[in-house]
Amino acid sequence: MSSVTYPRRKLTNSIMMGLCVLAAAIGIAWLALILGALLYKGIAGLSLGVFTQMTPPPGEAGGLLNAIAGSLAMSIIAMLVGTPIGILAGTFMAEYGRFSRLTVIVRFINDILLSAPSIVVGLFVYEMLVVPMGHFSAIAGSFALAVLVIPVIVRTTEDMLNLVPNALREAGTAIGAPRWIVIRSVAYRAASSGIVTGILLAIARISGETAPLLFTALNNQFWSSNLNAPMASLPVTIFQFALSPYEEWQQLAWTGALIITLTVLGLSIVARSLTGRKEDR
Amino acid sequence: MISAEKPATQTAAGPAKIEIRNLNFYYGETKALKSINMALPARSVTAFIGPSGCGKSTLLRVLNRIYELYPRQRAEGEVLVDGKNILDRSQDLNMLRTKVGMVFQKPTPFPMSIYENIAFGIRLYESLSKADIDERVEAALRRAALWNEVKDKLNASGLSLSGGQQQRLCIARTVAVKPEIILLDEPASALDPLSTAKIEELIDELRADYTIVIVTHNMQQAARVSRQTAFMYLGELVEFDDTSKIFTSPQQKRTQDYVTGRFG
Repeated sequence: MSSVTYPRRKLTNSIMMGLCVLAAAIGIAWLALILGALLYKGIAGLSLGVFTQMTPPPGEAGGLLNAIAGSLAMSIIAMLVGTPIGILAGTFMAEYGRFSRLTVIVRFINDILLSAPSIVVGLFVYEMLVVPMGHFSAIAGSFALAVLVIPVIVRTTEDMLNLVPNALREAGTAIGAPRWIVIRSVAYRAASSGIVTGILLAIARISGETAPLLFTALNNQFWSSNLNAPMASLPVTIFQFALSPYEEWQQLAWTGALIITLTVLGLSIVARSLTGRKEDR
Repeated sequence: MISAEKPATQTAAGPAKIEIRNLNFYYGETKALKSINMALPARSVTAFIGPSGCGKSTLLRVLNRIYELYPRQRAEGEVLVDGKNILDRSQDLNMLRTKVGMVFQKPTPFPMSIYENIAFGIRLYESLSKADIDERVEAALRRAALWNEVKDKLNASGLSLSGGQQQRLCIARTVAVKPEIILLDEPASALDPLSTAKIEELIDELRADYTIVIVTHNMQQAARVSRQTAFMYLGELVEFDDTSKIFTSPQQKRTQDYVTGRFG
């Protein structure tokens, strides 16, 4: 090696390393700025009233109770509908249909669904449910969210089951266990933390979705437990309040955004610790 | 045992437990086993040796039809276990596998407790009381010479054991469902010498009650544990005889070259 080459390589190395650190810092800085602004503006409005009072008319004090409850209700229904479908489809693809052509096709379509803009899903459900029913409803909103949940869970379930070594399936089969027992008692168990992580990520994904709810559940200024009627949700309320000229509403929008962000952050941390624990083993 | 239709062939070591007749095996278009014929005696250890890719593991995987998990793998011919052709379409695969157990190269404990690893297989086809299952679990662990090491931590994960212990757990799990035949696919090749010695001791103890077939890369191991040895090469059964004959006075030149280390 010539005496010029080595110092030059060292210099290039330091420059590239510096650029990488800079890029990482920029990425983290934006996140920190967003979180900082949210905390600063959101915490100011955080009080017990946010969780106990309904969304107020302009100019009055109030909370976000109906929006929080609506978001919870629609997310729960969406997860109840989407999780079994997603897990069963993922199980088919990774277990029964591992070598079938259908799996390749389903995986391709699922990947498209996974990256489909959520507003398209909203419009789809609008045409499929809202128009025939004649009105906006929480059911339509839940359905739109379920459509977003399914591809996430299909993907993670399939990926996690594919990570289960074949040797383990062979071992289960070799002691005489039928296929479905091998899947239920061996493969699911080996992949459980990954599958649960997928479910948590799906919840995180839908908890901030606004577009699919705009066309389906719309919004509701009041408390509603009627699934067949429009229902409030945090994202749509934030959207509406943030665009309004009223200061109280704007404050509630910040607080609502903070609540969603903390929820998603919490879910991500739980998801992370679940996968982390698996890697430790 | 003698079936009505197919009288069991006599081997030098007694009546055949497994009889393979004109067996061909295909991975897609590739023929991996070519016209295999052999009779394995009951309650005896038979070793399959040969260089990598010779088909010894493939042959083992035919005996419990585990290859059926994968598409485009098929066997032609006959494999008679107690005179009954297990390649027949009417053969129930799960029942076959409770009768023909298998232990793999890498230890494969299930992601559950030591106790559950054993109880899992027992519960599949038998409904027993808790006490009966406890008893069977203990018996299986004793059989696999693992009881003393794990009796105080039966609820610990099977994955917490050492590699050698995991492999003995897998043997215990196999023994627990009361098979008649045990297939061992290079059971010690991932283990240290001490654990290997324990596994070999175990095979020695099990051979009185089970028909054991072991695939091994290690010729010393074959010589140590088996009574019969089959030498395979390129999908063919080159020679099958008493282990002592295979290693001291083989009839085929290829066998001699292999066991003396001239190739493979």
